[in-house]
Amino acid sequence: MSSTTPMFMGKAGPSAQAGTQVWRRTRNAIFWTLLTCYGIVTLYPFLWLVLSAFKTNEDFYVRPFGLPQVWHSENFMKAWDSSRLGTAFGNSLIVALGALVLTLFIAALTSFILARFQFRWKGGVLAFFVVGMLIPIHSTLVPLFILMKQMSLLNTYWALILPYTAFALPTAVFVLTAYLTSVPRDLEEAAFIDGTGLWGLFFRIMLPMSIPALATVTILSFLHSWNDFSFALVFINKTALKTLPLAIANFADGYQTDYGLTLAAMTLSVIPTIALYLVFQEQMMKGMTAGAVKG
Amino acid sequence: MKGCEKSMNALRSKRFIITGLVPAVVIYSLFVFVPVVWSAYYGFFSWSGMGEAKYIGLGNYAEILRDPVFGRALKNNVIFVLASVFGQIPLALVLAVLLHKNNFLQRFLRSAIFLPMVLSTVVIGMIWQYIYHPQIGILNFLLDALKLGDWKLQWLSDGHIAIYSLIPPLIWSYVGLYLIIFMSALQNIPGEIHDAAKIDGVSGVRKLLSISLPMIKNTVQVAVILCISGSLKSFDLVYIMTKGGPAHATELLATYMYNSTFATYRYGFGSAISTSIMLISLLLIGTSQWLTSRRRARE
Repeated sequence: MSSTTPMFMGKAGPSAQAGTQVWRRTRNAIFWTLLTCYGIVTLYPFLWLVLSAFKTNEDFYVRPFGLPQVWHSENFMKAWDSSRLGTAFGNSLIVALGALVLTLFIAALTSFILARFQFRWKGGVLAFFVVGMLIPIHSTLVPLFILMKQMSLLNTYWALILPYTAFALPTAVFVLTAYLTSVPRDLEEAAFIDGTGLWGLFFRIMLPMSIPALATVTILSFLHSWNDFSFALVFINKTALKTLPLAIANFADGYQTDYGLTLAAMTLSVIPTIALYLVFQEQMMKGMTAGAVKG
Repeated sequence: MKGCEKSMNALRSKRFIITGLVPAVVIYSLFVFVPVVWSAYYGFFSWSGMGEAKYIGLGNYAEILRDPVFGRALKNNVIFVLASVFGQIPLALVLAVLLHKNNFLQRFLRSAIFLPMVLSTVVIGMIWQYIYHPQIGILNFLLDALKLGDWKLQWLSDGHIAIYSLIPPLIWSYVGLYLIIFMSALQNIPGEIHDAAKIDGVSGVRKLLSISLPMIKNTVQVAVILCISGSLKSFDLVYIMTKGGPAHATELLATYMYNSTFATYRYGFGSAISTSIMLISLLLIGTSQWLTSRRRARE
């Protein structure tokens, strides 16, 4: 700025400068008002969700934008009890953590090999995984359903853990291999000369070294399995095994007319993710964009 | 690795390579590749999921070409792609330019805009279902409050507008991703370029159009490809909000595949749609890659 203003002054004189300043100030004001409005519009759906979760059905009609007349916090208790939300939380946790552990271990091992060893099919193996990033997940729903049926995996945790892992692998292998290729090998070579075996190298040197990339993979894999709806919809129909998104969607179908209750169940279901987001915002933003750009 | 040259070690590392690669290759082939091949195979059969599958050659594909619902689903997918490319990307670019500072309000706004990205599409779809709700929807209440009662519509149950009602939630949930992608690209522009612009007296909108945008052109191209493949993958949002209805008005390729397979038990036909989705998205991604690489070659 500083080097452009003198040029303007020289040309147009002080009165024009005052004009530009007024213009700049109004422009800033307009700009901030617009941005704040956008922020409100963006957040309003969540605000509405949380406020409405405390309402009675009558409140919805009478004061759609207002605060609840009476804060019916018992909506949450009722929703928790009648939706088996606890079971669904447990199921989501088992499935998401199962897929996460499997993905981290398998992808790290594969990437270690791809980044550090020379062998004939190397390029082919890497390409094989990268191609997977182009496959639209939903185009596999029907054949996967048939496959799961024949392997008698339908209505088990494995019906979700295995496909979540399989679909997380391409991005995970890509992110980890790229990371490992960029890290110098000094440490491993020293350890190798000291007589550490290959598994020892992997567990004691590679894994701790790739923690930043593993964190990205963790965020991507966990959020994907925790939030997934379509695989759960197709592979699980036993109530006892339903994951959170599926349980919430079914609950809404059953209690369609009790709005407060449904919204309370929805609010409860997003609390863990939002809590994690509040703590790990920066990491989640970075991780998800890295995964997307590479994926 | 240097030490691996010795034959004993080479043998050990060969065994390690094979054992190490097996789990990933097996799980990945079985649950990603085999299904793709299978759906291509089942696409040639008429099969209800039980009993004998009957080979009908290209019958399913012939039906797809004639099927008005498939055409509609394809058109809706194209609407989604266009809405994402021309809605999300420009909006995200504008926001990325405006929100580049690190003060509290800007950081807060960035987090707020990104928030839908970490939530389940189920919750997002349900929230928007309530926003559009004919009786308790806040959109219609808002129109009433603004004395625009005439503008009230049956947002999701009127077949003429339902597909367009799905666009705001679509943009709302993904714009944060592109915002962050563009922001980091803009931050990667080297400082000397900003200095040079300052010396030349280029600033504001002109700087944005003639310096910043061309500098992040590659990122924008990646974002366009992401948008295309992402919108072809839409399923959850539409399934939750309209289930493809009313009367197929919001049917997408993925929801149509789901409905054909699991609602009307036409596994063969559903598989043929799966394979078509696969081919269409590869074709689109291939075309966009080809266009950008050709343009790059010309420069």
